[in-house]
This record gives sequence, C-alpha cells and structure tokens, in this order.
Amino acid sequence: MNLVKLLHTGAVRLSLRYALLYALLISVALGLLYWTTSNYVNDQIASSLDYEIKNFKKLEHARGHEALRKAIETRSHDAGENRAYFLLLSPAGERLAGNLRIWPSGFKADGKVRNVWIEDDPIAGREASPWTHDQDAYWSMIGLRMADGRRLLIAHSVRGAEDMQEYSFLMMAIILVGSIILALAMGLFLGRSVLRRINTISSIAAAIMDGDLNRRIPVTDRKDEFDELASRLNAMLDRINQLMTGLRQVSDNVAHDLRRPLSRLRNRLEVALLDPRGPEEYRDTIRETLNDANELLLTFNAMLEITQAEAGGYCGEKETFSLSGLAESMGELYRDQADTQGLNLLLNIEPCIMLAGNRHLISEALSNLLENAMKYTPPGGNIGLMLRYRQGGICLAVCDDGPGIPVNQRDKVLERFVRLDIARSTPGNGLGLSLVKAVADFHGAHLLLMDNHPGLRVEMLLPSSGKGSCGK
Amino acid sequence: MHILLIEDDSEAAAYLVTGLTESGHVVDHSADGEDGLHMALTGDYEVLIVDRMLPKRDGLSIIRMLRADGRSTPVLMLSAMGGVDDRVLGLRSGSDDYLVKPYAFSELLARLDALVRRDRTPEAQSHLKVADLELNLLTHGVVRSGKIIRLQPRELRLLEYLMRHVDQVVTRTMLLEHVWDFHFDPQTNVIDTQISRLRGKIDKDFDIPLLHTVRGMGYRLGESG
Repeated sequence: MNLVKLLHTGAVRLSLRYALLYALLISVALGLLYWTTSNYVNDQIASSLDYEIKNFKKLEHARGHEALRKAIETRSHDAGENRAYFLLLSPAGERLAGNLRIWPSGFKADGKVRNVWIEDDPIAGREASPWTHDQDAYWSMIGLRMADGRRLLIAHSVRGAEDMQEYSFLMMAIILVGSIILALAMGLFLGRSVLRRINTISSIAAAIMDGDLNRRIPVTDRKDEFDELASRLNAMLDRINQLMTGLRQVSDNVAHDLRRPLSRLRNRLEVALLDPRGPEEYRDTIRETLNDANELLLTFNAMLEITQAEAGGYCGEKETFSLSGLAESMGELYRDQADTQGLNLLLNIEPCIMLAGNRHLISEALSNLLENAMKYTPPGGNIGLMLRYRQGGICLAVCDDGPGIPVNQRDKVLERFVRLDIARSTPGNGLGLSLVKAVADFHGAHLLLMDNHPGLRVEMLLPSSGKGSCGK
Repeated sequence: MHILLIEDDSEAAAYLVTGLTESGHVVDHSADGEDGLHMALTGDYEVLIVDRMLPKRDGLSIIRMLRADGRSTPVLMLSAMGGVDDRVLGLRSGSDDYLVKPYAFSELLARLDALVRRDRTPEAQSHLKVADLELNLLTHGVVRSGKIIRLQPRELRLLEYLMRHVDQVVTRTMLLEHVWDFHFDPQTNVIDTQISRLRGKIDKDFDIPLLHTVRGMGYRLGESG
C-alpha cells in the first residue's frame, strides 16, 4: 500500500482535515488559558504590592517614621526569590532605607501599581544579578508619597511569573504537536484499514470480472457498514448469477429446440439432392421444408412475444375493452373446432366485464389456454371457459378434464421450453404457458394452475378496473 | 399490377421481385428511403411495399411525405417490429396494412391483392352479390338462388368479408384479423372449421360451389373453381 494512494483515501483526507481543525481549536483554547493565567498572576502581584504598601502606611501612622524605616530595613534583608524590593527616599531624594538603588525616572508615587521596564539591575549592593541571564525585565512597582514628602517604593519582579508562563506555553505547544501527530496517526491507521477492506472488495470484483463468477466478498462478524455492503453486493451477485443461469438455460433450450427442426430440414434437403427426382417429389420436399421453416418461425415469434410482454414493451398499449366480449368471441371461434374433435366447450361468461389491459395479449393467452386444453383432452371430454367477478377482481379460467399436470410440475411448466413427457408426442414448442405467465405478469394478475378433479384448471386473477358499461 | 418495392435487404428484395414477377406483377425496386420516395412521387404505381427501417429515410416518413403530397396509393408496410404499438404506429402513419417479418409470401400476395382491389367495393354499399349469392347489409338477409339462408352474426361478417374480396385469395390471418380482430397465429385450424361451417350453409345444397380452398394460401369466394 503506497503512501500516495493512502493520502488519497477518504479517511486520511478526513483525518487531516480534522487534525487541522483540532489544532486550531487547541490553539485558541490554550491561548485563552495563557491569557487568563498571566492576567491572574499579574493581579496577584498587584494586590500583594497594594497590600504591602498599605501595611507600611498603617505602621508609620501608628508608630512613626523610625519604625517604618526599621521595618523596611528588616524586610530588605530577607533573602529569597520573589521577595519584594523596597526603597524609602527622604524629601530631598536621599535613600533612607531599602535595597533598591534608584527611583525609576518618571515613576509617579501615586499609590498605583504599574509595570515598568527596567534595563539595569535596580538592586543595591549586589555584585551579580541573582538571575544568570539578562537583567532587563518588567517590574511591578507601586510608589507612595508620605505627608512629610518622603517617598516609598515597593517593587516586585515579574520574572517568576513570566517563567511560569513560558513553561506553560511550552507545555501547550507540546500538547498541540502531540495531538496533531496523534490525529494524523489515527487517520493513517483508519485509512489503512478502510483501504484494506476496499482493496479486498475491489480485488474480488476484478476476479469476478475475469470470469470467476462464484467468488464472493468475505463478511466478517464485525457487522459494520462494510459487512453490510459486502452482504448486499453478495446478494446482488447471487441474483445476477441466478438470472444468468436462467438465461443460459433458456438459450440452451432454444438451441436444443431449434436444432431438431433445423436438422430435420437439412437432412430432408440433403436426401432430396442425392438422386434425381420428379418435379412432384421436389415439390413435396419443398412443401415439407416450408412447414419446418414455419414451425421455426412460430417458435421465434412466440419467444419474441414473451420477451416483449415481459419487458413491458406494450406499456403504452393499455386500453379498456370488454373482456366478456373477447371471451365470447374466443369461445365462439373455438367451439366448432372443439365439436369436430368430439369435445364439449362450455362457456360460462358473466356479461359486461371490462378490463384495462392489452386485448391482443389477453386474446393470445386465452387462445393458448384453449388450444392446450383441446390438445390434451381426449375426445368426449369437457372444456370450460369461465369469466366472472370474484373477490374484487376478475377471474378468467379455462378448465378441462384431461390428464392435468402433476402438482410438483405446475411451476415448471411455466418455464420456457418445458414440455412434460405427455406433451412430447404432440406438436408445440413449450412456450404456450410461458406466454400466458408473461401476459398475466404484464397485467399484474395471479396465474394459478389447479387440479380440476380430474384435469387442469388454469385461473388468471386479474385486478378489476371497476364495472363498466355494457359497451362493445 | 405495377408495384414499387422499397426494401434495403438485397436478398429479401431479390426473392420478392422474383416471386411478384412470377405472380404476374411488374416490380420496381429501390434500396433506400430517399430514392424510394422519389420514385413513389414520380412514378405511377398501384401499390407500394415499404420496409419500415430503411437507410436515409425510414418507411413511416416516406408514407407521411407521400400522403402530404396528396397521394392515396395503398401502402403495405413490412416490419421486423411486431409489437402492437409498432403496428398501431405503422397504421396511424398512413399505411394501409402492416405485415410483420417473417411472413409467408402467399400472405403478402393476398394482402397486396386485397389492398389494390378494395376500392372497387365501397363501404357504403348496401347490397353484395356474388353469382347467385346475395347479401343485404341492411337487413342481414342472405339469399342464394331465391332460397333464404340463416347465418349467425359472426358468419355474416365472415361472408361479408369474403364477398367484399370476391375472386381474391384471403388468408387465415387476414380473416382472423378482420373478422375476429385477433392478431395471433392459431396453432390449430380454427379458421378452417369456421369456413367449413359457412360452406355447409352456403354451398352444401347447391350445384356450384362458391367458397374454395386455395391450397397453401387460404380461401377464395367466387364462381370459378
């Protein structure tokens, strides 16, 4: 898995975007924290300076000048970092007490805390600075002018606070960089795992495209979205496979079914050419060949009809017509034919049933059913054609008392080119019931093959479009 | 009769030309739509056979141009598209008959004949007569040699169609289409049964048969056998 490909995965791009956003958020949050803490520290220093100078003021008020000077001297000798520094000046500007050297120029003794930038070390009597690095720093200072003109200065270095701020700033930077690295690493990890699973799917798809149609995508027991996708794809592949098998079966059947009349036709022509014959014999050969060709064409036409009905090729051609009228004239057309075969065709047709459908397809399906019944019912038998409203729909039924179809083969006969043993000796192409089925499907009808005790009863349950007027 | 055949499949065209010529017709052939339309507009033909799908200009458009030019020459359309929609579209565009490939040559001949001759018997005619057989279209009375023959409604329509196409061969498919309005190929000989029943009524008791079977093609109503 190369890096370029990895960088192009959605997961990595997403995590990069999130890392950036994350970094921005952390920066803002840390900046806010930095700002509030430094404010807090400054406030602390300022209030302690304020407190200190007020204490000195009270002390002087209660115990006098000398006491104040002594107290400042004492405090000035206290060692230690972060201590306060003091300076007490006489009205003339001479240093009376304290450990600061000079009064910063321009600093007002007005009792307000200010941050002042001091370039030299302001502390008196000190050889080296207590801090090894530069002396320049901000100092927090407060100055107070007494009633007699003396001035008191208390200063506090903010160096310690600044150090703390620097330290926390460093920590924040470390946290920021660390979290960005973590986010990126997670993105890469996520991208890799996503990519791995997609690669599996993609390689299997490639294998299927190469012809290994039985390969399936492995489904883990994680039950995540990839597993769902994999099972959906597998189901899709199964369905496609099933359809393809069906199609293959049909083409096998077509090839098989057409080979018979074609080879018969070819052999007849071959034999006719072997020896010179009289014109009448040639005519006979040609006539028989023509019959075979017709049979082939009928098969092709039936297949085309089925395909068209299945594909809904007649969609634009739905009209409301009198199904009763159609059934009547169909019955009338076949009744004489049934008579000559010694069959009794009974019509039981409710008048005025209208259907929104395709008259051509329905008539073809009905003629197929009637012809089937007439083909398989022995002389002396009965055939019924029934049409009536039933349970809110329309029931169109053809029944006979012939041999019927065994229960376990009733689904099978609806498939294309399926001919039961009993039918093999009769003419036909095994497409009749497939067409009926396709027509039923086209009209949203249920097709039921039932036992007529004895015989077969085929019912087509059509959705009703409401009772219409008794028109044509 | 003088026929114009517009068909781009050269093999199909060759056997159609041969067959039609041998049947006594004069055939001009064009292999593309533009050329065919030009010939149809300039020549004088009794009937046109037009393939639906043609190079340069399709069959439907040829018929539309022809009709727009005011020509009512009957047109028989040939098509490989056999859906009901296709048939309806073909007839709606102005063709007079529609034959789906593959078809039997005899079917084509019979239909051409019917197309050319149909103009001779106007629809409004109230009385049809073939030899001594008479049909009154208003009263639905059928009389042969003064003897009244009783026919059922469907038999009447069958007889009327045959009488309107007197001395022409009509095929089983034509009868199924025009008398019953069914467009399918019956696997059994239902039409023959219907014809023999009609024959039993109009021919049985008379010396000269009028309803003849034409082997391999269909039926013909007429005096001569």
